[in-house]
Amino acid sequence: MDLFLQTLLNGLLIGGVIATFTIAFQLAFGVLHVIDFAVGGWVVLGGYLGYYITAWLGLDGFIAIPMAFVLFGTLGYLIGPVLYNVRNSRTARPELMALALSFGLFTLLRGGMLTAWGFNTRNVTTTLSGESLAIGPITVPLIRVVAAVFAAAIAGGLFLFLYRTRYGLAIRATAENRHNAALMGVNIGRLSANVYGLYAGITAMAGVLMGAIYSVNPEVGLRYTLFAFFVAVLAGLGSVEGALVAALLLGVIEAFVSTYVGASYSLLAIFTTLFLVLLISPRGILRRGL
Amino acid sequence: MALLPTNPQWRGLVLLAIIIVVLGVLPWTVNNYWLRIATGALMWAGLACSWNMLGGYAGYINFGQSAFFGLGAYVTAFLMGDPFGLPFSATIPVGMVVTALFAVIIGAPTLRLRGAYFAIATWAFAEVLIQFASAMDFTGGIGGIGLPPYLNERFFYFAMFGTAALAYFLTWALFERSRFGLKVKALRDHEPAAEAMGINTALVKLQTFVLSAVTASVFGAIFAYWVTFINPKSVFGGDITDQMVVMVLLGGLGTLWGPAIGGVALFVVNRLIWMYWGDTAFYIAILGTAIVLVVLFLPNGIAGLFARRKNNALDRVLDKLVGSGEGGHP
Repeated sequence: MDLFLQTLLNGLLIGGVIATFTIAFQLAFGVLHVIDFAVGGWVVLGGYLGYYITAWLGLDGFIAIPMAFVLFGTLGYLIGPVLYNVRNSRTARPELMALALSFGLFTLLRGGMLTAWGFNTRNVTTTLSGESLAIGPITVPLIRVVAAVFAAAIAGGLFLFLYRTRYGLAIRATAENRHNAALMGVNIGRLSANVYGLYAGITAMAGVLMGAIYSVNPEVGLRYTLFAFFVAVLAGLGSVEGALVAALLLGVIEAFVSTYVGASYSLLAIFTTLFLVLLISPRGILRRGL
Repeated sequence: MALLPTNPQWRGLVLLAIIIVVLGVLPWTVNNYWLRIATGALMWAGLACSWNMLGGYAGYINFGQSAFFGLGAYVTAFLMGDPFGLPFSATIPVGMVVTALFAVIIGAPTLRLRGAYFAIATWAFAEVLIQFASAMDFTGGIGGIGLPPYLNERFFYFAMFGTAALAYFLTWALFERSRFGLKVKALRDHEPAAEAMGINTALVKLQTFVLSAVTASVFGAIFAYWVTFINPKSVFGGDITDQMVVMVLLGGLGTLWGPAIGGVALFVVNRLIWMYWGDTAFYIAILGTAIVLVVLFLPNGIAGLFARRKNNALDRVLDKLVGSGEGGHP
């Protein structure tokens, strides 16, 4: 029973961190209508920033969180318009071309990081690394708890921004109906660039947390892209609220399969679930997808 | 006096005949090292063609084509192995049937939705197969399976050549010269309109997908027998799909010869990089850069440069080389 509770808690904590970037991913899809393969690349970039902050500057890994947001948010802000232009270009198949572009971006990031940093695995160290927290019979690594708190703060901030500000209203309106939003005076092109920047920044912040909990190397980007897709399919593409539930579910599934079946089966279980959902209920378990 | 006919169709036929003759005599003119490279180039040209059937003509991006390539390879390796010991030629039809079955299972529900769901589903399927093949015993796990070696480079060259030629012929006959091709192009260009014309778009898409998957599986089977050893990464790996996507985008989406041009060009670059640097990570970065640049600056691919215009670049080059039949120069 203790193992069960501990696994559940671990899964929920990891799921919380996954939720931050999958929510942003859904938001970017809702506005740009591109499923961004590069999502895993942004996570890994954030993780590496965290690593270099601790390894070179000797600072605590958590300092990297705001830096990741600024740095990769800016980078995303610069890339966003390119993606937007391709998606809305007059070429024969804009949806396909935009998908190919994000795929190319992901491949470029992965190849560039492998060339620059090799296949070695790096850790983001913080003052909390190695500490653990005991709640009754259950022990969880303290870093996971703190990371989940950070993740909750980031997600909470994002929801406040989306639901309590005029700009957030514009973003939601665009995601709901781009044409009508444009008629109401929203500059869709600029808003898309901003949303992509916001998404890249949040994803990189989650990457720092992921690097602190696990470790980071260029090949794990694929895994996080898979997580984002899994959540997107379970929640229905573009559904921001569903992403939170689906991400927690993903964390729990992964934790239980790792604990009770074996870590090498966790990806197989996730893929199979994703696949079955696509076959049985393609618009997501909540049937909210676009 | 022109060496090549001026009529573009005859000109194309003459070029095709020259290419077939050159490829036909190649195994007796080069050494085994270059023959292997030529075999690989033909395989990639054919794989790019298989991806282009769905990606180019129907407009659905398949990010898991390596799954079908790997299924063909694994079925052949499995059936030629110990308990069965079937001959190579008998394993290919089994691989095709298995592949077609999986293609229907994946395609039937997801091809009805937006392209994004299909892209995710195919991508996830390929990753499932990697994980599955790595975890199971009958597939040899991460270590993979060996096949009985057959050391006849010319056999594999002609097997790849024949399959690739068949793939291109099928593409030409089905997508360029038949009602089926018109249906596929119609649903790509405007799906609701195609449906309104009475086209069963779901069925047409599924047929195209199955054809594309089965073609890839045949290449996988030949590849497995050729390299005599396969493991999950070497036949299911995402890099295989990456390469196909880049080849088709580079050559020209939805064109008959684009995949051949892109496939051969990229494969040669791949071998050159491998020879001089031996660094695979660098190659991944180059693939990514190539995709981004092609999408941004060359959306119609290399074949788009030679599109059938009155005086296109290819014709101009040919005219310079062999002289034009049309007047002007006395």
